[in-house]
Amino acid sequence: MILGIRNAKEARCQGELRDPMSFVPFLFDVLAYSAIFVLVVLGLGVIASMMGIFNFAHGEFVLLGAYTVYVLQQTGVPSWVGMITAPFAVAMVGLLLERLAIQRFYATPIVAMLGTYAIAMALREAVRALLGGRFYNVDAPLVGAFVLGELSISKWRTVIIIITVIVMVLSWLLLTRTKFGLQVRASLENPALARASGISTSRVYAATFTFGAALAGLAGGLMVPIYSISADMGVPFLIKSFLAVMLGGVGSFEGSIVGAALVGATSAALPWAIKPVVADLLVFVIAIVIVKFRPQGLLSLGRR
Amino acid sequence: MNQTVSPSASTYRQVLPWIEIALLLVALPLPWILDDFWILFATKICILALLALSFDLVWGYAGIMSFGQALFFGVAGYTTALLATKNGMSSVLILMPVAALIGLVVAFVVAVIVIFGKRIPSIIFVALGTLTGSYVVERLVRGWSYVGGQNGISSLPRLSVGSFEIEEGVAFFYMALALLIVFYLLLRWLVRSQFGLVLAGIRQNESRILFFGYNVQTFKGVTFSLAGLIAGLSGGLFAFHEGFIGPGQLGPVLSTQAVLYVLFGGVGTLVGAILGVSVIELISYVLPQVDALGPGVQQFLETGWPIVLGLLLLVTVMFRPTGLVGFMVSERERIGSFGRPPKSQAATGSRPVTQPREAQS
Repeated sequence: MILGIRNAKEARCQGELRDPMSFVPFLFDVLAYSAIFVLVVLGLGVIASMMGIFNFAHGEFVLLGAYTVYVLQQTGVPSWVGMITAPFAVAMVGLLLERLAIQRFYATPIVAMLGTYAIAMALREAVRALLGGRFYNVDAPLVGAFVLGELSISKWRTVIIIITVIVMVLSWLLLTRTKFGLQVRASLENPALARASGISTSRVYAATFTFGAALAGLAGGLMVPIYSISADMGVPFLIKSFLAVMLGGVGSFEGSIVGAALVGATSAALPWAIKPVVADLLVFVIAIVIVKFRPQGLLSLGRR
Repeated sequence: MNQTVSPSASTYRQVLPWIEIALLLVALPLPWILDDFWILFATKICILALLALSFDLVWGYAGIMSFGQALFFGVAGYTTALLATKNGMSSVLILMPVAALIGLVVAFVVAVIVIFGKRIPSIIFVALGTLTGSYVVERLVRGWSYVGGQNGISSLPRLSVGSFEIEEGVAFFYMALALLIVFYLLLRWLVRSQFGLVLAGIRQNESRILFFGYNVQTFKGVTFSLAGLIAGLSGGLFAFHEGFIGPGQLGPVLSTQAVLYVLFGGVGTLVGAILGVSVIELISYVLPQVDALGPGVQQFLETGWPIVLGLLLLVTVMFRPTGLVGFMVSERERIGSFGRPPKSQAATGSRPVTQPREAQS
């Protein structure tokens, strides 16, 4: 349940932060965590902006991504195969759920909340039954660290950061440079007009949901070597990602990323300064208070 | 609120009171019929029914999505458990009011954050705020050794009145049942009063009620706090009935369960909450024990029952949003009438029940 940030404890044992030799790995940890978190939140934010529903099953998509890697590793396949498979597997699950259930909910966001909540519960409990309620670890495909002089930087965290940057650039290109991206932006701005112009918003919505699920699956797969797998690993991610999306502002992709970067960096950096439990509490409370006084999100001012 | 009267309305008969009476008649003689284990089981249902009622009040009547009912339940349970173990209190006359009060105060604090304020918060924000509160407090409690950390607080003393100890069993059952009936009647009156009419208005069209000049947030906050009171009382009873309270009773898992009970039973009818608790708890316990299902199914149900519950909730939300009660009760009766029924209605039985009544007073 509690994702004690393992590297946080390790890092604190390594000594003072003021020492530059431990400050760089610290920065890297924060960056890697934020990178994973940006992936999760981007998926959630895209769905929330596009269809106006908050997908409560998003945390479970992360869990499914992690579980895919675990299952494949149990069959003897190296874990990087699992990590490539995870986004596709979760995307399939997402597409199936969207066609079967979630597309009925678009008109009523409240029912959508309850419906996705039910889906989340079924998925989580299914994984719990399969895992037997225990915690599991998966080894990273790249173990060890790059050594630059006296600095050592974890290879796997570097990979995570690079992959995230690539995914962000590709998503951006997809949105701004392709015909499909144009359709997506049209459906976001004005669904009725988009339909009138011959764009199948239903198909765009399905694609968006699948894409969001795939991002969650990718994040789940990438984070497996850092966190242990358990049925409840998605729940804290879900809550934090919601806060991040609301913080950034629903309705813009940039907003989700900014919100994710803020929440991710704070919640990864704070446990060095204070106790992890208190740090979590602080992040939640600060985010809730900001959202209360700025319900339209941080970025909306810049857009107007 | 503009419920049109369907042709079948002339043959309109009330079903809800009969369900209520039937449930009461089933519940009252239970201790004579059941053995000790089932009395404990029935008591637990009564206690959880209070929790479900509290959720039904906020979601079914005021339209506030609260994923944090377990927070009030758990905090009240913990407080009374601490009072009992650290200060040696066991009087029911002190502990249960304290539990209710704690629930009220915690709910009010949460309401100050997520409900009150200059702007009307979005329903998603309220849902998220309550969920976050529930999750954060569970984490805090899990890491706090003074309140038992992961293990919670166990071996609570029995509740007592003067020198009489309320044993788990017949005495506790009747106490829980009596409290359930009292709060049920209170809520039944409340949601059919003019206050309930405003709540129904808020649920249907918040901006219109705001335009009428009602202070929507005050109504929501009061309802939310009252629900917190009931959930708190339920938590206090639960802790002493089980003799144990743990972090699991605080978190999103139990909050989910409250949602599940009410949505399954029938949201927006008080009796639906109680039906939901009874049916889900009974099935959850009995079904894995039925041998006729075959060993494979049985084995699956032992671990996989929550999966079935999740799917059940999904199917309910998608195809039967009125829940179990929706099968028995007409839409018109589910929405119900407010205040005193007009005199002429009894005679003709065909007047729309939700006619605006402000004009008369």
